[in-house]
Formats: sequence, structure tokens, C-alpha cells
Amino acid sequence: MTATHQASSYGDEYPAHFEPPHGPTRQLLFGPGLVRGGWMAGLFFVLGTLLILGLRWWWSWDPVWETEIVLAIAGMVTAPIGFLAGIGSFDYWLHYISGRPTRPEDHSGHGARSWKDYFRVNTDHKVIGIQYLVTTFFFFTVGGLLAMFFRAELAQPGLQFVDSQTFNGLVSVHATLMIFLFVIPAFAGLANFAVPLMLGAPDMAFPRLNALSFWLLPVAGVMFLASFLAPGGAFGAGWTGYAPLAEGQPLGQTFFNMGVQWAGASSIMTALNFLVTIITMRAPGMTFWRMPLLVWANFTTSLLVVIATPFIAGSQFFVMFDRILHTSFFTPEGGGYVLGYQHIFWFYSHPAVYIMMLPGFGIVSEVISAMSRKPIFGYRLMALSLLGILVLGFSVWAHHMFVAGMADWLRVPMMITTLLIAIPTGIKVFSWIATLWRGRIHLTTPMLFALGFVTMFVIGGLSGIYLGSVPIDIHASDTYFIVAHIHYVLFGGSVFTIFAGVYYWFPKMTGRMYDERLGKIHFWLTFVSFNATFFPMHYVGLRGMPRRVFDYEAAFGDLNFVITIASFVLGVSFIVFVYNIMLSWVRGPIAESNPWRARTLEWQVSSPPPIFNFDEIPQVVAGPYEYGVPGARHAVMSPAKEAPEVHA
Amino acid sequence: MRKGIVQLVAIGVVIGVLVTLVAVLFQWLPTSASEEFDRIQDIYWFATVISIAIFSLVSAVVVFSVWKWRVPADDDEDGPPIHGHTGLEMAWTAIPAVLVIAIGVVSAVVLARNGEAGNRPLEVQAIGQQFTWKFVYSDDVTSGELVLPVGQEARFTMTSVDVVHAFWVPNFGQKMDAVPGIETTILVTPKRTGEFTVVCTELCGFGHATMRAKARVVTQAEFDDWLQEQRA
Repeated sequence: MTATHQASSYGDEYPAHFEPPHGPTRQLLFGPGLVRGGWMAGLFFVLGTLLILGLRWWWSWDPVWETEIVLAIAGMVTAPIGFLAGIGSFDYWLHYISGRPTRPEDHSGHGARSWKDYFRVNTDHKVIGIQYLVTTFFFFTVGGLLAMFFRAELAQPGLQFVDSQTFNGLVSVHATLMIFLFVIPAFAGLANFAVPLMLGAPDMAFPRLNALSFWLLPVAGVMFLASFLAPGGAFGAGWTGYAPLAEGQPLGQTFFNMGVQWAGASSIMTALNFLVTIITMRAPGMTFWRMPLLVWANFTTSLLVVIATPFIAGSQFFVMFDRILHTSFFTPEGGGYVLGYQHIFWFYSHPAVYIMMLPGFGIVSEVISAMSRKPIFGYRLMALSLLGILVLGFSVWAHHMFVAGMADWLRVPMMITTLLIAIPTGIKVFSWIATLWRGRIHLTTPMLFALGFVTMFVIGGLSGIYLGSVPIDIHASDTYFIVAHIHYVLFGGSVFTIFAGVYYWFPKMTGRMYDERLGKIHFWLTFVSFNATFFPMHYVGLRGMPRRVFDYEAAFGDLNFVITIASFVLGVSFIVFVYNIMLSWVRGPIAESNPWRARTLEWQVSSPPPIFNFDEIPQVVAGPYEYGVPGARHAVMSPAKEAPEVHA
Repeated sequence: MRKGIVQLVAIGVVIGVLVTLVAVLFQWLPTSASEEFDRIQDIYWFATVISIAIFSLVSAVVVFSVWKWRVPADDDEDGPPIHGHTGLEMAWTAIPAVLVIAIGVVSAVVLARNGEAGNRPLEVQAIGQQFTWKFVYSDDVTSGELVLPVGQEARFTMTSVDVVHAFWVPNFGQKMDAVPGIETTILVTPKRTGEFTVVCTELCGFGHATMRAKARVVTQAEFDDWLQEQRA
């Protein structure tokens, strides 16, 4: 990759803060990296196990060996810490704590000199962004394969391939991977790459924390997948993990309880990093009202993450405590309150829906504006509607519980707030289509995905209105109608915007252009098979097919067969994407620095950008979408020579 | 531009007609067998009309814009610098607000009506247990099959002995979770006789998919006979 050549000089100029171990073998074994990560994970697992066994023996508890506790502590707490220490996430901090000299301007771990640097702890937000995206697309592939597996099972009523507990495990792990290891972190990856560039900043505010946030993800992902190996199979209580069902599940459930902690910690750290970066690292002249909408979207999302994520962390800890410490937060026999779980869980998981959507709104705003060659229609109202969704988003969680048996009086207020969210969301949709109006529309692949998103998201939003209405929800809740709704929102919504973002920034990330023809084939295949897969689910759901079932009434057999075939086509369409991206990354044509002629700052530097993004700090002089305004510029790159002329 | 607006409206009408056909040619909801479901279906159709209008509007603008204003890849001009329009922005804030509040009000009214127990409803206790339903009519009548008299309001009081289950008869359109540790209630007024299915809709373990029970709506006389039979 081209970034490597530009990067190499910095490594020599800024030596590392401490001497690496001498000799290639010692360097491999004791230098930071995956090898040290591997053996330290093993070592910490043994240490954790010994600690538990020692304490249990000391207090003469019987039995001394309890698999679930050993796995939960040694396997899911100490071993991951050993791994993270081994790959070098904590090296700088540990050196600092131990009083050894550190260099504030050490950049030895910054930027990629070769492909190997993508497998190390790296502090460059551009490298981290790509690490995020490759990792999340790996888990997207796994999650998709799991879905195709259980779709095969659902092609006919009755059990064909797997037993029912395995089926529940497949469904649960599919949802968990897609939510915690794909949609949320893929957006974090795109934003990691784009936000500092868009702000005119050299990097994120806390680059080492940024690196650590990334490395927590594979830990969480491996944990979710490893649950398939646990005795009793993978966690099978759904991604919602409702108590008390989750409390009586086999060992695999603990993998979910703990995996969520690691994924959640990753989210929280990244969100804090974004908040500080956006608040403190804007280039001169970059006022809040001149920030691109992607930055606004990630600002809002990060607030949601920081406020809401601790709630799911708490809910999963409580379930795990009920399971292994025999507390009774949610067991009625011990005085626990079953609905308490659902309230705490949804207090995170409803805002999480916006965590999984708002960054996509940001991406689509960038793409539609640049590809229509017009300013975003109603920029300020677009930003304010994000804040409106943020505030309302915290007051609607109980609409997931209209049939849960919660306090009756809560239903109508939660219904009203839920329906009100349609207003800021509607503002965004209408503003996007108004941006198209009289534009000069370039129907590139990112634009196709952006327009596909707008239409599909409207369907998801409208089915959301049905579900917001309590009486209709009473009929449709927990059926395939819900499955259809969430896939229109999360696939037609989030996944389409992720594809739009990947195609849009691909030339900036890699310095090469993707194949436009393959991109369009990918879009149309995905668009058609997506609808063929998920639209019929509205019907079977309303007609009486509950969600999360391996068996169903024979009457739904034909449609389910069609859905299964369509889902396989959807799977195949993804191969076109992977082929296009991999081939173009290696030998696509060299991209210009600004192939879309966009105005935001990331397009004003080379592709890929220089190691510290900007050779000189840009001076921002106007808004980011001044298309068609004669002489207007978003920023001037050398403030000394050119007097900034302030618009806006 | 006037010609353009006519074309846009034409596209919108075509999309609207197509979507309306999809909405009416398929029977999306099960045939109602309860008074509660009749009212729910009224809101469903109300929401459907609004949804068709909004979907047609948005997709017509997208299709029309792409058709009308698409340019070749090498075009390097910009569009007109339109930054916004206060009147339009106020309109698309206010109109959806009115529409959703209308849906909210209608829903709240139906919810209240569906939750009003009339005089002396038939009391049935429904108990969920992995993976069966038990219906308790009185101290001496317990059944695995749900039997209800037609036209008589029934109030279900639900609980569960293990995990959360959910009671749903698709043709009744009414659903409620059976939650361990608390009691929940729901009303159903069957309006026609027939055989239906009680389906569990809350994931409750490996047997969740098979947790079904038979539901029968019979005449009052048949119901009384059945009760006698159960007591005997």
C-alpha cells in the first residue's frame, strides 16, 4: 500500500520510547505482538484458574473445580487482559506508571509501514479505521453464514438439520454478532477513519485508547463464537437474553454475558474518544455549525453510547451474578423482579437502535450532497433533528414491552414519544429527497446504496409506526413482522449505509478505485434479494408466525421456502462485494485525491492521506456543502498565504 | 417545471396504486374472531393509508429526481445552491406531527376500549409452563385446551411457573406475556365460533416453537355442557 512509503520516514525520526528486546527470536517472543499476546493469554488463564482454585480450596468449598466459574473468570476476564497486555495495548501506560522515561512524541506505533502493521497495536486512526472495518466484515460474513444455516432449517416446517437448542443458538449468535460485532463497530470504523480528517485534526484525541478500543472487539467476537464449543451449545436465549430464561441456560450464556462487557467497553471508550476529539480538536474556524453532518451524527451517537451502554453491561452482570453467585436480581423465587431485566436491557437497547442508525444518517448526508452536487437541504434542521432523536430516544424504551405486563399507565406515554420520533426522522428523509431535487445526480455505487437506504428505511420507519401503536403492537409483537421491521431498519437502513460509506471512502482509504460495474451489480443483487427475503416476513408475521421458532404451521411453508432461497441470493451478492473490494485494494486503478469533487476536508488531502493527515492545519472558512455557490470554499489549506474570507 | 410536477404526480400515483394493490390483494391479517381485533384492524387500515401516501411520495421523488436530473459521470457542474426553505421545513415537521398524533389518539382510544372489562366477564386463569399451557376455569375445572363461549367477554389472568411465555391467538389479535412472579391480564371477546391456536410468542427454551394449544370458541350452551363434562 502507498501509505507505507510515506510512513517509513517517521519511524526513523521518532525512535521508540524503550529499547526493543535484542535478537529476532526474543523480539518475536517478548516484543509486543500477537505471539506475546498468545502466550500471555495462556499464562493469564492459568493464573486466573489458580487464583480461583486456591481461593475455593482455602475456604474448603466443594467442588473446588467449577467449570462455569473458571471459564467466566480465567477465560473471560484474566485471559483477555493477558492477551491485550501481550499485544502491547498497555505498554506505554505501564512504562509511564513504573516511572521509566517515555517520549510524548513517540510515533513508533503510528501508521502502517507494511500489511503486518495492521495486526499490531497501532495508534493511527486511519489504520484503526481499516482494522475495524476488516474485522467487522469478517464477523458480518460469519453472522451471515449462521443466518443462511438457520434459513436452510426454516425452508420447511419441522426439524431437518439441527436440534432445537442449536437452532436457538444460531439465531442468538447471528443477532449478537450482527449488532455488537458488525453494525455498531463498522460505523465506529468508518467514523474513526473519517471524523478526524473531516475536523482537520491530525488524529483522535486519545490514540492509544483508540487502539485499545479496537482490540477489545476481537476479544468479544471470539467469545461469542467460542460459545458454540461450550458444553450445552451456544447461548440460546436470543440476543435479548431475557431473564429468567437466560439464567437457566447452559454454560454458553456466560459467554454472552461477558462478551457484551468487552464489546460494550470498546464502544464506550471509542465514544468518549469521539466526544473529546469533536469538542477539542476542530481546526480553526470549524465551528459546530460548520461541521459535516457525519461529524454531527457521530457526536450524537457517542452521547447515546456513553449514557446508555452501562445499562446493558449492568443487566448482563446481574444475570451472570444470578447464574454463578446465586443472587436473585431477576428470579422471582428469591424476591427478584423479572420485568426489571427488560426495563434495564431496553434502556440500553432502544437507544442502541439509534446508535446503529444515526452514523448511517451521517454517511448518507455526505453521499447524497456530494453526488447531487447540492448543499444539504436544511443543514441546521438536519443537525437539530439528530439531537431531537437523541433526547426522544431515551424516553421510548418500554415500547418493546407493550405486551410484557409492565405498568399499564406507561403504555400510552411511551407510544406517544415513540410516534413523535417519526417527526425528526421524517425531517431527515424529506431533507434528503429535497437535496436530490434539481441536483446534478451522479448515480455511483455509494449513491445507489444511499438512495436504496432512503426508500428501504422509509418502509422500516412506517412499519415502526404500526408497532408504535399499542393495539397493533399487541397483535404484531414477537412475530415475524418484528423480524421484517428490524431488518428493514438494520439491513435496509444500517447495512446499506455501511456499504455506501465503504464505497464512498474506499478511494481515500486505499488510494485505489473500486470497480464501478461490480459495485452496481452488488447493489442491484442486494436490493432485490433483500426485499425478497424480508418483505414476505411482514406477511407471515401478521398471519400468525411467531419469531425465533424452528417449526411453524404448514401453511407458511411455501413462503418460508421462497424467503430461504432469497436469503441465499442475498448471501451470494455479498461475494460480489468481497471480490470487488479485495481485487480493487490490490490492483484497482490509482484514485485521485478527490474523485467525488466533495468539499469536506478529507478530500482535500492525498489518497491515502499523509501520516498526520494535514501538512498544514486547514483554516475553515465556511460550511462543508457549498456546492454551486460561486467562489465558496469550506477551508483554505495555507492560512499564511491566503487571507481567510469568512462566509456563513 | 409544471410539466415536471405532472410527471412527478403521475409517478407517485402509479407507485401508490401498485402499493395499494399489494395492501388489498393479499389478506395481510388473519380473519378476526374477536371484537378487540376488529378495532385493532381499524387502526391498521388507518395507518396503512398514511403509510401508502408517505411511501409513494418519497419513492416518487427519488425515482423522478434520478430519472430527470441524472448526469453522465464526466459532468462537472454543480446544482443550484438551495440551502433550505423555511416554509417547506415547517410543513414537513407539522404534517407528520399531526398524522402521528392522530394515530396516537386513535390507538389510545382503542387501547382503552379493548381494556374495559364489561359486566362479569368469564374469568380464566392461563398458566404457562415449559412447554404447555394450562387454563384454569375454577377450582375444579382445569384444561389443556382453551374453550370459550362466543359473545362472552373473557378475562385472562396470566402467570408462569418458570420463564416468560406469551399468550397469543392470532385470530383474536390479543397478546400478553405470562411472567413468573406477577399476574398480567388481557381481555378477549370471541365473536364467532371456530377452532384456533394458542401460540407462545416469547422465546422460552428449546421447546418454544412447539408450545401451542388448541382454542375452541363454542356456543354458550356447548360451553356449559363442556364445563359440566369437565367437572364430572
